[in-house]
Amino acid sequence: MRGNGFEPKIVAFLCRWCAGAGADLAGTSRLSYPPNAVPIRVNCSGRVEPAWVVEAFRSGADGVLIGGCHPGDCHYVVGNYKTRRRIYLLQKVLAEVGVEPERVRLEWVSATEGARFARVMREFVEELRALGPLAMNQEEKALPPQGGVHA
Amino acid sequence: MPKVAVYWTGGCGGCDVSFLELGPKLLDVLSQVEVVFWPALVDTKRQDLEALPGKAIDLALINGTLRTQENVEMVEVLRSKSRYVVAFGACAHLGGVPGLANLKSREELLVEVFGGGFRPTPPPGGPSEHALPELLPQTLPLAGAIPVDYVVPGCPPPPALIADLFERALAGDLPPAGHVFGKDKAVCEECPRKKEDRKLDKIVRPHELQPDGERCLLDQGMICMGPVTRGGCEAACPKAAMPCTGCLGPTPKAGDPVLAMISALASLVRAGEEGEAAFSAEDKVLDSLADPLGTLAKYSLPSFPRLARSCVPTPVRRGP
Ligand code: SF4
Ligand code: SF4
Repeated sequence: MRGNGFEPKIVAFLCRWCAGAGADLAGTSRLSYPPNAVPIRVNCSGRVEPAWVVEAFRSGADGVLIGGCHPGDCHYVVGNYKTRRRIYLLQKVLAEVGVEPERVRLEWVSATEGARFARVMREFVEELRALGPLAMNQEEKALPPQGGVHA
Repeated sequence: MPKVAVYWTGGCGGCDVSFLELGPKLLDVLSQVEVVFWPALVDTKRQDLEALPGKAIDLALINGTLRTQENVEMVEVLRSKSRYVVAFGACAHLGGVPGLANLKSREELLVEVFGGGFRPTPPPGGPSEHALPELLPQTLPLAGAIPVDYVVPGCPPPPALIADLFERALAGDLPPAGHVFGKDKAVCEECPRKKEDRKLDKIVRPHELQPDGERCLLDQGMICMGPVTRGGCEAACPKAAMPCTGCLGPTPKAGDPVLAMISALASLVRAGEEGEAAFSAEDKVLDSLADPLGTLAKYSLPSFPRLARSCVPTPVRRGP
């Protein structure tokens, strides 16, 4: 799909202890990887709420990466386990509303794995190029007015 | 005497019947208001409504989802004739159960229900007003078409909330516009069931379990929407051993009930000791949640278009 001019936009939620540090290492080691992601540092991958992922898509992202510590390494012990279950459920629901589950990617990256982070980014960008732009956002303008009184 | 209108759009009739649950109070209410329009109760037609002067109706209670162009036209007429409009019931409030149809496009729905060859046409030689009203591209909650002053939530609304609306309206003590007749706190807070062992090692459907009489249903593996759902029903369903399905809509804090419930479930699900070895067993527990969107978004899909896809690129056409 390379060459069709489509550059996917990615929002990357990276935990500060592992994946975020891994991303920093990729940078300081001068590893090259595609610049498609807007990184957002969070204290723990367990902090990433499903609503944030949906918000990222609604704000124009074609893919959302959540980077956390390897199992057993979470600074808060179980945050990454919780987020794994959340993303698993969220992917099911997204699939039902027509969003390909592969657009949400959960990856374990340690602080020493700069090379792994760069590889994950390359793979994810390739996959998203193949998937194309998020259809939901193409239809955004057509959405009816937000209904319901939630106040 | 205050003039009242009650109307149904794409509903099931349950909301109209729910007034009977007021019991003897209904007689009090009916003796203090004048019903000027209520197709389910008195023979009143669209022309009667159109003949009324502007704002002739004090309180219009509208139930049902907006499914057809005619629904939209009728609620627009009601809006222009009414001082206060109330979204009555989950369909008008959030889109309701019929709102799950928004998972399909209008064209897919017609084929699914009537088969490929269906072409809605007026009867041959008949006057054109006998034509079927056009389906909207998607179902909409009432506020998707007209400004709404109040919401009486529920599927159908609990009698206490209906009574509260009438009492306050009759006393001239209506709250500021935008008020939802219900509580801001969650159903869990009015539920007497004991919450202790906050872990889920299985997810069951209501018919698969005879639940323990005292313990929280969610703790026993039923998907109970109590944690994210607005109270006001006195936890009627959990008290009767049925899990809350979320009909009063999310609490103001919860936001999209689907996403809030995903977070809640992910925190509760366990398959033994947490860790990599448990991942596939945890996934199995989560896989046993049947029909995730139909369960978690049973009433709310059209109100949270941030999650739902939009199917057809035509927004509501305004009536004449
Ligand atoms: S809110 Fe429930 S009871 Fe009322 S019309 Fe809709 S489905 Fe029927
Ligand atoms: S049974 Fe439902 S409403 Fe009652 S405490 Fe448990 S989750 Fe909350």
